[in-house]
Amino acid sequence: MKWRNRGKPFAIVVTILLLLFILFPFFVMLSTMLKSGQDVYTSPPFWFPKKVMWTNFIKVWTEYDLLGYFNSSLIIAIGATIFNTLLSVPAAYAVSRLRFPGRKTILYMFLVIQMFSPVIVVISLFKIIARIHLLDSYWSLIITDTVFTLAFTTWMMNGYFKSIPIEIEEAALIDGCTRVQTITKIMLPIAVPGLVTTMIYTFIYAWNEFLFALSFIQSKPKMPLTIGLYNFVGRWSTQWQYLTMSAFLALLPVLLLFYVIEKRLVAGLAGGAVKE
Amino acid sequence: MSSQAVVIKKSKLLNEEARLAYILLAPAVIVLVAFMFYPIIYVFLMSFFDTDKLGRLRSFAAFKNYKVLFQTKDFWTITGRSILWTVIGVTTKTLFGLIIALLLNIEYRGRKFARMLFIIPWASAVPISAMLWQWVYNPEFGLLNFTLQATGIWKNPPIWLGQPISAFFACMWVDIWIGIPFMSLVFLAGMQAIPNELYESAYIDGVNSFQKFFYITLPGITELIMIATLLSSLWTFNDFNVIYILTKGGPGGATDILITSVYKNGFEWLKFNIASVMAVVTFLILAIVSIVYAKIYFGRERK
Repeated sequence: MKWRNRGKPFAIVVTILLLLFILFPFFVMLSTMLKSGQDVYTSPPFWFPKKVMWTNFIKVWTEYDLLGYFNSSLIIAIGATIFNTLLSVPAAYAVSRLRFPGRKTILYMFLVIQMFSPVIVVISLFKIIARIHLLDSYWSLIITDTVFTLAFTTWMMNGYFKSIPIEIEEAALIDGCTRVQTITKIMLPIAVPGLVTTMIYTFIYAWNEFLFALSFIQSKPKMPLTIGLYNFVGRWSTQWQYLTMSAFLALLPVLLLFYVIEKRLVAGLAGGAVKE
Repeated sequence: MSSQAVVIKKSKLLNEEARLAYILLAPAVIVLVAFMFYPIIYVFLMSFFDTDKLGRLRSFAAFKNYKVLFQTKDFWTITGRSILWTVIGVTTKTLFGLIIALLLNIEYRGRKFARMLFIIPWASAVPISAMLWQWVYNPEFGLLNFTLQATGIWKNPPIWLGQPISAFFACMWVDIWIGIPFMSLVFLAGMQAIPNELYESAYIDGVNSFQKFFYITLPGITELIMIATLLSSLWTFNDFNVIYILTKGGPGGATDILITSVYKNGFEWLKFNIASVMAVVTFLILAIVSIVYAKIYFGRERK
């Protein structure tokens, strides 16, 4: 939409004000993460640290077990990403390319179960995880994160496979490729952008997951970032300079990854009405 | 004779194709059955039993748990609050989303950068954002109340998370804040798909900006608004993290919605039967909305 020049400066001013408003907590984060403990607990508070504490950046690794939390999050997120890919890609290929009785039902099922809330099943999942002796293990989260992203990633990959012209595959089949070969040698290389999207999606989901980790993980060395940071808070005096510094470091990787998939994610969710 | 042979060959091919499909689908379906469908069935089962503190089934109770729950006043308060929470949340997200999408649809230098900045609340981890907001809301040392007072916007800001009503709106706002970027991005993409000629001919006809918005932009994205609000209402209704981290449903249960109540009944008060009844109710509400979403989604795919 082209605005006449009169409206444009006004719109830009509104945009800037809105951004200041929306990004407020992140300004607070940036302000707090470089303060000293004394500055943090001064009332009334102030925006700019009296003395910039660059050492906070080091202290979160040495005095708090941030490295351990990062390590756990990474293991869980990578594990979930691998399993999710191994399960979702073949399933997506089947529903997008093969004809079989029950195809519609399965497709419908994948769409509907994306919406299920983990909270509904967390009670019974807890019992199942306990019965297979996986409480307080990385596996408990790798499995649940895989399961709760599976419907969406299968759905996304299904859309991706469908957008690849079927002629390419038919040509390969006529040339004597087997089905499996056409999948691994033809379809997957073309579908790399879709694959990257679903993998990043799963990774971010697992990295940010809170509820299952809260319910299944008890021992400190196995805690992922979300739970590790959550345990910072709520103690008698939270050292917010370290918490905000850790939050900043924990957010950075997922923020960057999110920008890679953001457009395809919106398109996938909004149902093809939106162009990438 | 020959046509029959073709039919046989074709059906055999189909079988082969179907067999491959089932093999490829099997791992995903087995995992979903074991860790999603079975737990849901188990929750349904639990809701019809008396349970002990470890969540073990004790004796069949038929609809007793349902009766108990439906007779408690709290349950209806919480259900009502969940609906209020969802309605306020989705409406506000939609309005903000429309405004931001309109602003980002104007061409100027730095627009891409502004777009990137607007995405941040969605791109951030919800639990971590909630923890940041907890610090922002801090009545004594938090920068929100300080800024409100210093700029004179609000001389006497509330102790946000300490009082029932302000706590509800404080949680509400964090949920809204997280949900705005998705709305903005979807609407923006929809607006950019509207052909420019429509605006150009409107310009020639001397149409003003409001008319353009109501006669061209809004009708152009109606369907998208439907899909986005449906999705958003599912997410909003499901928002466990924000409330649990900010207030744990407090003070005095003033911020409990169904989803946090399910968790607390189960994991904190060990009333597994009541928790599962609530989970079943929640499940049914979500299932209805999901099916509507799926219907619309498939409807538009066919077009």
